[in-house]
Amino acid sequence: MTIEISLQVNGVSHKFAVSPTETLVDLLRRRLGLTGTNKDCGMGICGACTVMLDGLPVSSCILLASQADGAAVTTIEAIERDGRLSPVQEAFLRHGASQCGYCTPGFIITASALLAENPHPSRDEIVEALKGNLCRCTGYKRIVEAVESVARQGGPT
Amino acid sequence: MTDCRFTRAASLGEAVDCLQQAGGEAHLLAGGIALGILMNEKLLEPSWLIDLSRLEDLKGIRLNPDGSLRIGAMTTHREIERSAEIAGAYPMLIEMAREIACGRIKNRGTIGGNICLADPQGDPPVAMIALRATLRAVGPSGPRDIAATAFFTDLYTTALTKDELLHEIQVPAQADHTGAAFGKFSARRAMDYSSTVSAAVRLVRDAVSGRISDIGIGIGGAGLIPIWAQATEAALRDNRPDGDALAAMREALMEEIEPIGDDLYSADYKRHVASVILRRTLERAYARAAAVGGADKP
Ligand SMILES: Cc1cc2nc3c(=O)[nH]c(=O)nc-3n(C[C@H](O)[C@H](O)[C@H](O)COP(=O)(O)OP(=O)(O)OC[C@H]3O[C@@H](n4cnc5c(N)ncnc54)[C@H](O)[C@@H]3O)c2cc1C
Ligand code: FES
Ligand code: FES
Repeated sequence: MTIEISLQVNGVSHKFAVSPTETLVDLLRRRLGLTGTNKDCGMGICGACTVMLDGLPVSSCILLASQADGAAVTTIEAIERDGRLSPVQEAFLRHGASQCGYCTPGFIITASALLAENPHPSRDEIVEALKGNLCRCTGYKRIVEAVESVARQGGPT
Repeated sequence: MTDCRFTRAASLGEAVDCLQQAGGEAHLLAGGIALGILMNEKLLEPSWLIDLSRLEDLKGIRLNPDGSLRIGAMTTHREIERSAEIAGAYPMLIEMAREIACGRIKNRGTIGGNICLADPQGDPPVAMIALRATLRAVGPSGPRDIAATAFFTDLYTTALTKDELLHEIQVPAQADHTGAAFGKFSARRAMDYSSTVSAAVRLVRDAVSGRISDIGIGIGGAGLIPIWAQATEAALRDNRPDGDALAAMREALMEEIEPIGDDLYSADYKRHVASVILRRTLERAYARAAAVGGADKP
């Protein structure tokens, strides 16, 4: 059986016929070629597959495509604007917050969702928001510092 | 790959009809988190998925005029964590929701899916046991109320029949001088969902004597099911939480829990941790009961 779904991905409307068990991460990567969203654990644990669903971070590896019907999905490909890196992406570069890079899209999505909701989070709030994303390379310190630097920009701490 | 049916239920009645037709072969889809993992791991090849996401009846948090609380099964952990109504009347549930995984999981995971999964590590089940919540099921012959203390019957098994679904959770109004707290021990502060031990405590403190006149205790991660620690409650009831009562509490708890050792912690270590977490959580609940008193409660 297939289900007709419509969803917006990075501002563009799409219609798909999906199987009831197809995951959103597979749809994004295989059908739309949006391979910036990584898939690793497939169990909701690591955060590599994080995308925004109507603005909220979710694990796309354990979200069925059918569950995204009618929603707006934002992936890492839409974080840059007009060919320029976003402030969070710039900060990751500046702070050396990415090494192998496998976890990076998930971190950038999670941090971007946090900053959209709360432009000036405290360090504790940043750590809290990022606590579910795993990174095997950087040791987290530079990632937190990168997000902190954006949180401080243009406002009180 | 076998073919899977999919129904996005438009009413509670339709969902129950599908369950009945499927004769135990359908899976209800709430947040889809647990089902997603089982499918990715090839442990589950569903033949029929019944999506509950459009059932408005299953959503929402309502604080009733009598002080009782209603939480629809499809309410997400995030909605609970951010509910001003719950924060005012049932702060223990906010503490509980904060302990769950991380934002990504809380944004999708539902309290109903969590309770129906009946994972012994789950946080909502033990909170609902301590609060003496009632779980309202709906089936072909209408609604049926099941006490949270009787809901968890075996590993990943609940008292629901195969054509029933969980509609809502009803938490009774809390008596004057009630204090409640939630405590959890985990190796890593986030995303630890396999070696945790948790305790939920609700108690009523007699304003004159300081004795515990009523108490509810749920213990997670200490056996095959979320545990209702009945004998441990009895050891504390009518006592102040000090020397002798705490020793009796520990002794009763050791009889009631049966933790399973894992890669990180032995069963014996978890036993020790359970008694420490319970004592600390009890002390917090007791201090809160003293602080709230009776007059300033709704
Ligand atoms: C990495 C990770 C960490 C986690 N950490 C924690 C944690 O620390 N604490 C914690 O408590 N939980 C934790 N969870 C569990 C999570 O919070 C979810 O609540 C849980 O996985 C199921 O919720 P769901 O809404 O996604 O249910 P689903 O996966 O949709 O459903 C789960 C089961 O319940 C059944 N079901 C769903 N709704 C109903 C209903 N209304 N009536 C009858 N049956 C129903 C389904 O058919 C299925 O069998 C974690 C999960 C992950 C992946
Ligand atoms: S791949 Fe989805 S959380 Fe790890
Ligand atoms: S940069 Fe390699 S996992 Fe994070």
